[in-house]
Amino acid sequence: METFLFYLFGTLMLGAAAMTVASRSAVAAAVWLVFSFVCAAGVFALLAAPFLAILQILIYAGAIMVLFLFVIMMLQGPVLPAEVAGRSFGRKALLALPAAAIAVILISWAARGREAAFGAAPVTGTAAAVAELLLNRYLLAFELISIVLLVAIVGAMALGRKQEEQP
Amino acid sequence: MDLVLTTFLKMAFILAVILGLVPVLIWAERKGSAFIQDRTGPNRAGIAGIRLAGLIHPIADVLKLLFKEDVRPAGVHRVMYALAPFLVFFVSLLTYAVIPFGDYLEVGGRRIPLVVADLDVGILYVLAIASLGTYGIVMGGWASNNKYTFLGAVRSTSQMISYEISMGLALMGLLLVSESLRLTDVVAGQGQLLWGFLPRWGVVVQPLGAILFMTAAFAETNRNPFDLPEGESELVSGYHLEYSSMKFALFFMAEYTNLVVASALIATLYFGGWNIPWLSRAVIEARAGVLLPALLAAHVAVCALAAALYLRRASRERGKFGDARDREPGLMAGVCVVAGLAGLAALALRPWEIGPAGASLLATVLQVGAFVGKVVFFCWFFIWVRWTLPRFRYDQLMHLGWKVMLPLALANLVVTAVVAAFV
Repeated sequence: METFLFYLFGTLMLGAAAMTVASRSAVAAAVWLVFSFVCAAGVFALLAAPFLAILQILIYAGAIMVLFLFVIMMLQGPVLPAEVAGRSFGRKALLALPAAAIAVILISWAARGREAAFGAAPVTGTAAAVAELLLNRYLLAFELISIVLLVAIVGAMALGRKQEEQP
Repeated sequence: MDLVLTTFLKMAFILAVILGLVPVLIWAERKGSAFIQDRTGPNRAGIAGIRLAGLIHPIADVLKLLFKEDVRPAGVHRVMYALAPFLVFFVSLLTYAVIPFGDYLEVGGRRIPLVVADLDVGILYVLAIASLGTYGIVMGGWASNNKYTFLGAVRSTSQMISYEISMGLALMGLLLVSESLRLTDVVAGQGQLLWGFLPRWGVVVQPLGAILFMTAAFAETNRNPFDLPEGESELVSGYHLEYSSMKFALFFMAEYTNLVVASALIATLYFGGWNIPWLSRAVIEARAGVLLPALLAAHVAVCALAAALYLRRASRERGKFGDARDREPGLMAGVCVVAGLAGLAALALRPWEIGPAGASLLATVLQVGAFVGKVVFFCWFFIWVRWTLPRFRYDQLMHLGWKVMLPLALANLVVTAVVAAFV
């Protein structure tokens, strides 16, 4: 069951990612990317990392992509005549999914016998385990990254502001 | 296999309760608004004269929506236009997977926990799904290719993003108190007593957090006073303006399922979930021989009172309408008499000699009942607020979200953290 779900999510994730690149409509690309993120969260959940899976949905699918979609729709305005038929969701997607399935099968075939190299250690990605690592072992790095991010946010706001007219 | 079966049964129970509550809530909304505005409200639709004070109206509404033509305007994005209502409805039901609606059910010596998915990261899951709720509205509003729907979608997105932050920060305060992300732990922790007499509910230990969470929940469900995304007077009706037939019905149902889910979250996180204050499971099981007969006697008394009132109405309004409606009070009195007789029959079965298995079942039923009661109360609370408060202006909405609620939530978090660290 878990193997089947892994291949299902992997195929959907790769197919959706391919559609993100392939679709002409920016809105369709954003929607496909969201779908890809949700499938990635599914893969994380199967790899015993529920915390990471939820964060993937909460931050990438739920917060960042909502803003992306919002900005794309605001800038583009109405539905373009070329988008009305919704081609990015029809024929192309039917091509992308088998292609992704073949890619997943090829990759797992190429990596056969080397499973030990990937994820042999029984890591659990629960919230407590992640917090233990972040707030004990890597506390300094964690805090430093927060400061770097804060500086980046302040910098982005300072750069993004319109120059005040000099009186 | 057992796990799959019980999970499916639990999912079916939840779905039945939520979908059963939706038409009742639509009725409560219409009747409640009528009561608050001093009108009569819906009272026309009926089956063979049975009108149940307008409760038949939702059935008529559903039939009407099912048989309406599904109009698709020209120029819409076909796929996203069709997908949006399903997405909204689907996401609104997803949250329910982690909400515990009871402690456990004992069947043949095995204890089945009454929650579909007892996730290790339950609270984060709630927030994640809440943030996904925006997609359906945005997609529907944009794909309809209409300026009003698009404005509604833009408003909804900015509102949800703004209030999600306060919601998350308010929840973090509760998290510090309950010391677990798991919702079953949060509920179990609220079953204890504070200083021996006060139930340790979220609203008692986190009063500010509870108010902030409830306000944010109103904003997240797009309910008045935060219903700018569908402000009728400005946007005709917002993001679902171009939808008709069952696609519109899905949007409409999603609003009420969201309402039920938000009420369930408020009840679970801040009002003790399935806990009955001062009446823990152990107490119920020990006193089951007294509680069950008392409950049955109360049921019989209520049925007798209702039957008497209906009979009085039947005698007063004899031949008032001159058609099938005249039969209604008599029929209702009959139903009450039958229900009361059923209670009497149960009393004759000696409920005071109840065994331990029955006592456990009684405790479970009472706890699930307490949870459903709390959920229904908060649903009514949502309706009550909607018909009492006027709608915000857009700048007031943003001001409240960013300049009032966010600092308050942050202060609440800091104070809670300091108290949790030193006490």
